[in-house]
Amino acid sequence: MSLSVSRSFARPFPLNGHFALKLLVLAVLGLLVAGPLVRILLETLSPDAISAWSDVTTGRLSRNLLWVPLTNTLILGVGVACGCVLIGGFLAWLVVMTDVPFRRTIGLMATLPFMIPSFATSLAWGSLFRNSRVGGQSGFLEGLGLTIPDWLAWGMIPTLIVLIAHYYSLAFTVIAAALATVNSDLVEAAQIAGAKRRRILLGIVLPVAMPAVVAGASLTFAGAVSNFAAPALLGLPVRMQTMATRLYGLIEVGQTSRGYVVAILLIAVSALFLWLGNKVLSGRRSYATITGKGGRAKRFDLGTARLPLFMVALFICLVTTVVPVIILIASSLAPSSSALFSNWTLHYWTGLSNPSIAQGQPGIWESPFIKSATSLTVGLGVAVAITSSIIGLIVAYVLARDGKGPLAGLINQISFLPLLVPGIAFGAAYIALFGAPIGPLPALYGTFPLLLIAGTAYLLPFSVQTGRAVISQVSGDLDESARMTGAGMMRRLVAITVPLASRGLAAGGLIVFVKIMRDLSLVVLLFTPTTPLLSVLAYRYASEGFTQFANAITVVILVISIAATLMANQLQAKSQPWLKS
Amino acid sequence: MNMKPLLLSAALVALTLPALAQNAPELDVMSAEELLPLAKAEGTVTVYAFTSRIAAVEKAFEAAYPGIDMVSHDMSSTEQITRLKAEASAGIASADVVYISDAPVVFKDLLEPGLITRYVPPRVASLLDENEKSPLLAQRLSTKVLMYNEEANPSGAPVKNLWELTTEPWKGRVIMVDPLQRGDYLDLMTELVVRSDDMAQAYQAQFGKAITLDDEIETAGEQFIVDLFKNDLILVSSTDDVNAAVGARGQKNPPVGFTSYSDRRDNEDEGWALQVVNTVVPANGIIFPAVLAISSTAKNAAAARLAIDFLMGDDSSTGGAGFKPFYVAGDYATRSDIVSHPDAVPLADLKAWSIDPSATAKIRQDVSDLVLSLQ
Repeated sequence: MSLSVSRSFARPFPLNGHFALKLLVLAVLGLLVAGPLVRILLETLSPDAISAWSDVTTGRLSRNLLWVPLTNTLILGVGVACGCVLIGGFLAWLVVMTDVPFRRTIGLMATLPFMIPSFATSLAWGSLFRNSRVGGQSGFLEGLGLTIPDWLAWGMIPTLIVLIAHYYSLAFTVIAAALATVNSDLVEAAQIAGAKRRRILLGIVLPVAMPAVVAGASLTFAGAVSNFAAPALLGLPVRMQTMATRLYGLIEVGQTSRGYVVAILLIAVSALFLWLGNKVLSGRRSYATITGKGGRAKRFDLGTARLPLFMVALFICLVTTVVPVIILIASSLAPSSSALFSNWTLHYWTGLSNPSIAQGQPGIWESPFIKSATSLTVGLGVAVAITSSIIGLIVAYVLARDGKGPLAGLINQISFLPLLVPGIAFGAAYIALFGAPIGPLPALYGTFPLLLIAGTAYLLPFSVQTGRAVISQVSGDLDESARMTGAGMMRRLVAITVPLASRGLAAGGLIVFVKIMRDLSLVVLLFTPTTPLLSVLAYRYASEGFTQFANAITVVILVISIAATLMANQLQAKSQPWLKS
Repeated sequence: MNMKPLLLSAALVALTLPALAQNAPELDVMSAEELLPLAKAEGTVTVYAFTSRIAAVEKAFEAAYPGIDMVSHDMSSTEQITRLKAEASAGIASADVVYISDAPVVFKDLLEPGLITRYVPPRVASLLDENEKSPLLAQRLSTKVLMYNEEANPSGAPVKNLWELTTEPWKGRVIMVDPLQRGDYLDLMTELVVRSDDMAQAYQAQFGKAITLDDEIETAGEQFIVDLFKNDLILVSSTDDVNAAVGARGQKNPPVGFTSYSDRRDNEDEGWALQVVNTVVPANGIIFPAVLAISSTAKNAAAARLAIDFLMGDDSSTGGAGFKPFYVAGDYATRSDIVSHPDAVPLADLKAWSIDPSATAKIRQDVSDLVLSLQ
């Protein structure tokens, strides 16, 4: 069906098939990505709402609406970027360049924290460090008789630590990949010339890794400023607001125009820093041209530091992967988080409603609401993985086969735009655009399609990246020959590119699936009782004080995510070249 | 292509659709028995409720009316209002029954634009005061009042005057839910401003001098809010956090906090020692109605009415199964034939301000901005 439709569509424009496809792609991207963003901007410019700009930026309330949250956001962004580059860079150096023992294990573990949702790490922090400031159950450490000061239990310090523990694997991956490309000839030449290790590190390794360091820093910065879960769970009890939590609060209480203004400013901050990162990178691009495959250089001999450094790396990896997972599992079983390892019960998992426990909430296995949320969340993950893979592949195909001209440039720019937009601001924009009927289209608020298109648009940069990677693996010659025999574009895509790229596409789809499963910031505003999602339910249970239920749901999310990630790793064993010895 | 006229006319068509919502006056006069077969045909009813106790109502309802599935969603009033407005502009009918506090906002944002409709079961109409059935049906009166830990204070409430909470001994020891997250707490803040004369008198009584106001502060109530925040008021996100902080047994120097008097019912199950501060001037907090209404777009109009009828309780002196979750110390039924719970201070003796929703609605936004500027 679709083949004949596309062919008959293409026939009237035999010369402009590419052009028509480009226009189509541009229209889809415009609706998915640009539309919502333009809409919130227009929304704040309407006569009723324009005063929101002065309220937020200059009025009596501006200090608490914007400036204090902005300062907190920037402190978080800079702190997390520095911490991630230091820890990620250190681990990458150990794994790629030195003779530290168990390099493979460390390398694998260092990529895991990013798969653990940041709200899971935040909940785990709370289970350990919670003090009595806000009442409720105190944490495990206070249960042991220690006194936890407020600054360690709540606010900036725990948020920073949790976010660094979450995002450092991003910096690790980027820097490790760059270090793996350091030309061994250069290092050997330097060694023969008698250069000291420090000299080699500063003179050769660091300059080559510099673009990756900057990229790692700007990616982790963008992640930190847009993160909602960690500051919401750890910061609000001491009234620490970031722009993301302020935006959520404003929208939830119905002050939408003020919320949209904060959203626009948050996008601006995030975009500014990613742009600065790119600027620094483009100035240093010459280093990327060092190519040629020499043999693997001799690894740095760590000597007596070998074991201590290994212990440090192991400690970092354990604390950011195994420990939070153990705490989550334990605290989903323990009636009191101050005694995590005693009186375990399965009530929070399988128990029936009992009025004396947690106001009669049944265990998550018994709650029909959570069952429907699980199927909806998994369904959404699968659906978004499919649609975004398809759109990503088509966008990548268009760019790869004819990437010149202003239209292609525009497509390229728009498809990477969501990377600059924090999830929660994206969610706000989607409500603004699709919350009410547009022309003949019905309103999508509270429907599955809204979640689907928002998720698809949000993850477009990743799926386009995947699409480009798999398309570049498929030789253009095959496509050319097929075209010579008269195959149409869709035919070529379906008969040649997709089958050859299926492995890579499946792996990319699984990554998208995991990102949706564990996402909170995008969906926290799109959530409605008719479209319950696991991550939002976990967040709600946590903020209502039902930590065991929150942790139990989080464990479910973790299990599904990790299973999918391991499958993705199986499919693309090539993705971690630095692990090869 | 000129799409504009087409889009415009389509938009117009779409706009008129919600106006076709169901309105069924004939159902309003039916008894529960007459509603039952119609409700059974509908088979389901969706309730948005601001209290977790709705889970118990759901069980009791389904036991009383097998064949009708009650789907309940526990959402704060603030969230219900946001959702109902968003759903209305989206033309979605998700809720049938709305069980909500935040009367000031409900009247203005939900009732006036016609998103919800009044319904009073005929059998209880004669048992209610006029202001309990108009503009909306009030099911019970709920509270946000100052509570203390009776285990740590065996000789009685540790506070005699609200202004004590702004003094050094109470620094970091007063806890409540963020008024920007929960409307009933914003109503409490607003009531303090509405009752500024009482607050000024209480200031005189506490400090022996007339109150002096900060720059840009116009009333004694606002000054109290400013001073309370300055004294490291602790804000949390749910009343259970307040209850646990104030009420947990075994504390040496527990805080006091504003929460629902009725949460005292959980003392035994949760290991709390919550008790109301009823000796404080000028008042210990607010008492306000919890209202029941029908969504104007309700798909299950008969089942919705049956559910409201059920929530109003039966003719026994404690209200029976439908009212059971609410027949607790600290909640006060609006029905004159349901007696106050024996463990609670009788309604007449409770030192709480009864709020006037329309007066509150007028200055609520200003108080909200004040609170925002203090955070």
